[in-house]
Amino acid sequence: MTILLSGVSKTFGDFTAVHPLDLSVPEGSFFALLGASGCGKTTTLRMLAGLEEPSSGRVLLGDDDITGLPPHRRPVNTVFQNYALFPHLDVAENIAFGLRRRRTGRIRAQVDEMLDLVQLGALAHRKPRQLSGGQQQRVALARALVNRPRVLLLDEPLGALDLKLRRRMQLELKRIQTEVGITFVHVTHDQEEAMTMADTVAVMNEGRVEQLGAPWELYEHPRTPFVANFLGTSNLLRGEPVGPGGEEGDDSAGDGALRVRVAGAPAPLRLPRPPAAAGTAADGAGTGGTSAEETAVGEAGTGGTSAEGTAVGEAATGGPLLLGVRPEKIALAPADAAHTVPEGHNALPGRITDAGYLGVSLTYIVETDACRELTVYAQNVERDTRLTPGTRVVAHWSPAHTFGLDAQGHGQDATAGREAP
Amino acid sequence: MTAVVPAAPPAAAGPEPDPPSARRTRRLTPYWLLLPAGLWLAVFFAAPLVYQASTSVQSGSLEEGFRVTWEFSHYTDALAAYGPHFLRSFAYAAIATALCLLIGYPLAYMTAFRAGRWRNLVLVAVIAPFFTSFLIRTLAWKTILSDGGPVVGALDALHVLDVTGALGLTGDTRLLATPLAVVCGLTYNFLPFMILPLYSSLERIDPTLHEAARDLYATPAATFRKVTFPLSLPGVVAGTLLTFIPASGDYINAQLLGSPAEQMIGNAIQKQFLNVLDYPAAAAMSFLLMALILIVVSVYLRKAGTEELV
Repeated sequence: MTILLSGVSKTFGDFTAVHPLDLSVPEGSFFALLGASGCGKTTTLRMLAGLEEPSSGRVLLGDDDITGLPPHRRPVNTVFQNYALFPHLDVAENIAFGLRRRRTGRIRAQVDEMLDLVQLGALAHRKPRQLSGGQQQRVALARALVNRPRVLLLDEPLGALDLKLRRRMQLELKRIQTEVGITFVHVTHDQEEAMTMADTVAVMNEGRVEQLGAPWELYEHPRTPFVANFLGTSNLLRGEPVGPGGEEGDDSAGDGALRVRVAGAPAPLRLPRPPAAAGTAADGAGTGGTSAEETAVGEAGTGGTSAEGTAVGEAATGGPLLLGVRPEKIALAPADAAHTVPEGHNALPGRITDAGYLGVSLTYIVETDACRELTVYAQNVERDTRLTPGTRVVAHWSPAHTFGLDAQGHGQDATAGREAP
Repeated sequence: MTAVVPAAPPAAAGPEPDPPSARRTRRLTPYWLLLPAGLWLAVFFAAPLVYQASTSVQSGSLEEGFRVTWEFSHYTDALAAYGPHFLRSFAYAAIATALCLLIGYPLAYMTAFRAGRWRNLVLVAVIAPFFTSFLIRTLAWKTILSDGGPVVGALDALHVLDVTGALGLTGDTRLLATPLAVVCGLTYNFLPFMILPLYSSLERIDPTLHEAARDLYATPAATFRKVTFPLSLPGVVAGTLLTFIPASGDYINAQLLGSPAEQMIGNAIQKQFLNVLDYPAAAAMSFLLMALILIVVSVYLRKAGTEELV
């Protein structure tokens, strides 16, 4: 069942938890609301559940307007953050709770079926407090799923689990979602969790959706500094675009790339011109692609697309912009081997100030004139022993891996979203 | 030789294990902590109990003195003579407890879940009557319920007294010296003992459980029936016990607000001790009351099923 939020907002007194929001979640998708605590993601979820009444706007489920329906009359169930299992009922009765309220038949059989799905059959008569965190989590999931809701809401369901268990439950949840085919709306502050499980991720910040799309799309083509920093790590460089007929580095290669002059860089850096189209053109992560396209987001009143896709468009007309590149896209060449840098790559000379050995990968901090701390990740395949702190290097990367952000829009600077987990 | 001896103690003074005396002190700490309460119980509970027990099987008179003669007839005599008093005591206490629950539960519920910033004010208001003596408050009720007073006048005008009078709960024109007055007095005086445990058990319920119930198709009424109330049972049990037990033994309310026809067992015991001066009979009645309360309470606890309460 498609969920449609239309101009939905929520204010508590003077505080606006959620700014007017338009959002549609296609049927059967695994949708994640991602953001730091206090960004309005849980409030949005609670408005879907009916636990919070929107201050404005409408909530539609399929063709039904459920805005005013109390929670017990919505075909929606929630897995709560602390599970909220009924402590006086055993596992089987917790799971049967919703079925008993609706007086459906075959309660025993349905409960047993669900106990099998979450592999808790042996614990049916335990009380919640006798279960481990992971087991409680699965009871909470079973208790919601047994009702065959049209939408399942998950409020940080894995937050209380340790890392290993969380990883396992992520895969488990994804498996169950594929198996039952119900629309999942998942709230989390863990970007890895959102990216692992969701088909579509909406990144929220201060009560607004910053960007929405498939995980790979958000990662490869962030549209705001917040998204660039909140999802993974980004190196952001401030620069001024150089017109197509600019004095240096003009479009002689005819590659259609935009040239950006960054203070301290020896030559203008290049970035692909139409990143808005890149989303559909890019290959990859695949599975989520279609649902991301069906999904629309925007701010009510300002029109769906105005907040998006404009960053580079404006930049092309001459405004300053932020040029971004992910640390793992950057390669390092020792300064005396600078000739090995492929033709056409963006390059910044600098000096390694710090090198970290993480086993699976290596982290370098490179001080350049354009950027005091350029972060570089390298796979630990053939470690170049020359790359030690103090070494002069050239950091270089393909222009295709460069993204541009409007430096003035969104009220954000290059560090927005960086403190977040 | 002499050089070696002083060298030894500093060597052992590093991260040495506690000296035996310190370990013994630590092992005894729990007992020291229990000592004041233990002494208190021994002096003010166990000793009087033994003394009463021995008194209850004595015979004799005030003039000749009482001696232990293992005279158990006091018990059977007391039951025979004061059966109605016992019954009345338990009936009044039970009704008062039920009324306390009916009045106290909504108040405790609202205080725990809806009072917001008024919560502490409500709790203070619940406790406030304790700042006045029990006796004074009950005497005040005597004035409030007095014949020709505003309460009687209002109830009479509304024809409530006709109904309660027909049921034998009140007189046709008066409230004082009726069973209703005694029950009202008991309810009033023991209400805080019901509210406070109820409040503390309700207040501990995680509000997300209510949301979870509503999310799982429970109407507000079903949420209360299936989640809130079961989880507040420890408070209900504690509150009813704290109300029922002292109410069964109470005699002030029956004395001040009732007539001889509303006398409870507490009044009878008081009379035996202070007026008749038949100490063995009074002691036997006290023991009987205690035993009956124990029976009633254990049956109740069995029914309420406290073993699985959270």
